[in-house]
Amino acid sequence: MFSRKKQLRSRELLKFNINHRLNLLYVALFVPRLLYFILRILRPFYERKENWLNKTWRYGFLTIGGGVMHPAEMRAYRAGIKAVIDNFKTALAAERNNEPLAWVEWILNAEIIEAFDIASFNTESLNIFGNTMGSEYPPALIAEAESQGVPVENCSAVKLSVGSYFLKQIPEPTLIIAASHPCDSSISVYQILEYLTGVPTFSYDAPYWKDATSYEYFTMNTWDLIDFLEKQLDKKIDWEKLREVLERVNEINFYLREVCEMNRAVPCPGTMISLALTWVIREVAVRSPLAVSMAKGVYEATKYRFDKGVGVVKNERVRVLMWFPPIGFFTYIFKWMEHEFGAVVVADFIGHISTIHINTETPETMVHDLSRSQLHLGMGRQCHGPVEFIVDELEKMLEDYSADCVFFMGHNGCKHGWAALKIIKDFLKKKGMPALYLNLDIMDKRHTSEQEIKKEITDFFRSHGWA
Amino acid sequence: MNERNDTSHMKILEKIAGIAASERNDYLMQAKKSGKKVIGFFCSYVPEEIIHAAGFIPYRMRAVASSGTEKGDIYFSSLNCTFVRHCFDKALKGDFDFLDGIVFLNGCDHTRRLYDNWRHADIPPEFRYMFVAPHKVGTTAEKRFSGEIEVFKKELERYFNVTISDETLAASIKLYNRRRELLQSIYEAGKSKEVPLRGSEFLRLMLALTAMPVEDSIALLEEFKGEIQGRSTARPGDLRIFLASGCVEEPGHLELIEELGASIVANNICLGTRNFDLAVSEDDEPVPSLAKRYLYHLSCPRMMNTSRERLAYMQDTCREFQVDAIIAEKLKFCDLWGGELFLYRKESRKLGIPLLALERELYGGSSGQMRTRIQAFYEQVRNRKSTADDLFCAAGDDYQAGGKN
Ligand code: SF4
Ligand code: SF4
Repeated sequence: MFSRKKQLRSRELLKFNINHRLNLLYVALFVPRLLYFILRILRPFYERKENWLNKTWRYGFLTIGGGVMHPAEMRAYRAGIKAVIDNFKTALAAERNNEPLAWVEWILNAEIIEAFDIASFNTESLNIFGNTMGSEYPPALIAEAESQGVPVENCSAVKLSVGSYFLKQIPEPTLIIAASHPCDSSISVYQILEYLTGVPTFSYDAPYWKDATSYEYFTMNTWDLIDFLEKQLDKKIDWEKLREVLERVNEINFYLREVCEMNRAVPCPGTMISLALTWVIREVAVRSPLAVSMAKGVYEATKYRFDKGVGVVKNERVRVLMWFPPIGFFTYIFKWMEHEFGAVVVADFIGHISTIHINTETPETMVHDLSRSQLHLGMGRQCHGPVEFIVDELEKMLEDYSADCVFFMGHNGCKHGWAALKIIKDFLKKKGMPALYLNLDIMDKRHTSEQEIKKEITDFFRSHGWA
Repeated sequence: MNERNDTSHMKILEKIAGIAASERNDYLMQAKKSGKKVIGFFCSYVPEEIIHAAGFIPYRMRAVASSGTEKGDIYFSSLNCTFVRHCFDKALKGDFDFLDGIVFLNGCDHTRRLYDNWRHADIPPEFRYMFVAPHKVGTTAEKRFSGEIEVFKKELERYFNVTISDETLAASIKLYNRRRELLQSIYEAGKSKEVPLRGSEFLRLMLALTAMPVEDSIALLEEFKGEIQGRSTARPGDLRIFLASGCVEEPGHLELIEELGASIVANNICLGTRNFDLAVSEDDEPVPSLAKRYLYHLSCPRMMNTSRERLAYMQDTCREFQVDAIIAEKLKFCDLWGGELFLYRKESRKLGIPLLALERELYGGSSGQMRTRIQAFYEQVRNRKSTADDLFCAAGDDYQAGGKN
């Protein structure tokens, strides 16, 4: 792994995605039905595990459903893929042309950047898109960060950003927008990135609570950010542009909220991978109108099944609630469970939408509502305050989604999650809710491999008579 | 130094060591007996003056005299830091049963869950308060901090049925400033070649002072300051060390660092400079002044936009205290200090200051291993001194084998 990683050329992972993988997938998705059949026929060659023959295709194939996802959903992904390609291209072009480029941390979205009309890049992008050249790449980037002295205990997702930077896989920023949530890892790693890049860095400070004072404080942070950007870029914010992007964000939120609502039905009409992927697209390319198309596509695919009263799987046997972030290197987990066990993830930590509608009437309403909405993005909203933010939402989900069991995705970076485990366990026990407690690293397969995860899930389902 | 002086400062050092060795002490218990309430707090960002102005004794939480983490481990995982696990273990065992209230802080991911687990396990006292400090400095944060202090003040008043007037608050500020001033002058004495107080002794002093009424601590400090005047602990060839870390509270560990041939002359630790750096303005409104002081005092890595200032502090301190080398430590699984050590390693290399980066567990033992590492590091530093000046002395890549500094 190490020697292969050493051969990476500058920005190779991004360029590979643009030129070879995402672009080809994008084109192929113009004929989703045909692609569906091809994926189905080729399934035996790539579905079980990664090998030298399938490694550069497997992750992409599986992420778009591995031949078990409905073509309507696949069609929706086309827009998302294009949005990501565009973002990568724009970021690389900005770097090439010495134009401003803002790195935006993965817990924030880049709406404000749109209002300044400069390029933005999600520093954590390669957590997902680094897998397309082979799943050994994200661990190699993480290992690079660790070998440079980045603490091993930091979340692998943000460690990977530092590794990507050291190995010249992501474009150089001219400024950084960081945040104090969801956890200490972000606080720690973004200080490292600020030090390494030496560029002006703005830090959003997330409040602890979610009360009026807290929202007010976060809103003030957004005003400070605008001030910071105006000074750094020597230009004024374009409120009209902000209004446009926020109106699209409202649309995205509308579609995704509807999907979440529909997923409460039994059988569940939606597949969680779509919501999780939309979270990724939102992070990377919320500014693109194509992000709306993806959300709309996912909505239509789900609505179609919902109206017919059918589930995403023919025979829904078990409804799973997945708590804490899903696995980046094994995005196929959702479709795999659906296909193998009739087990549908009905809600999860990041895909579930509770962002608010943004009033775009005035600059004040926009800044206020956008700030509030940002605090409600998946992972951010649960992780930044007291344990009630995790447990209360979990309780509501259990009620709303008629879940049969819970998977605790014990990501070793989430120390705040491990420190809350006893509380979560006691809560689930009181509810009489079967639970699987996984111990893994969501971005680093060296910790717990796909095969090991599959085995644990299989054993769990077997022991409860669901397999 | 004459004999009388020698025995009297030994006496006072012993007295301090006695206080530091346990979570409770005579000063505290006597005050408690006389009806004073004791409020525990967890972090250097909690404004002690507010607690004091309410008529209570602020008590810095600690894990000293911990007998293990077995009980704490039921609530916290092995991926959580040992400071938190030891503290919670002690809480579950009733070691803090003298507390009338406890104030938590969103210091790090581990300590903020203390608030959650404390409530979940329903450990007394009943008054458990989460004080929220911003993660950055600046006008917006300052305003927020002021607001937070106001709410905290009101909550103390409401719950305990007391009044905190501006006058009492101003008086408390004066007292704490006096303590800061005394501590600062004792600390500054470390700049001299004589090193009147060793780092381990200084830590004991801090442990003692933060666990007793501030009035007593000032009296003790005044006496102490006189006693150590003219004292010298320096031994020929001792290296002068700057220690940076988070929740370090074991004088024994600092003794180990020193007995191998060094004096810790300067620090950036919670129970060190971060406690007494920067006075509160006595000329302005008390609450905003408190907010300013607590926000802008020497920061720790929980603060996102002050790393440059921290590194500048490191550089300035090394120069002013004529430091030979830095020892920067973190407890296992501490993201914040892990990141800080990364910065320290890069920066010290840039500046050519030798640095040993250590990872360890609180009360983790393993002093044999630690001893070897520290000794090897000292040798490297001395070799550098006796050979080429520009030869960079590599940090102890103790916890990160491949670390390239
Ligand atoms: S996955 Fe966990 S550790 Fe990583 S950034 Fe999110 S909350 Fe932090
Ligand atoms: S050592 Fe680090 S993890 Fe532990 S309590 Fe202190 S700041 Fe938190």
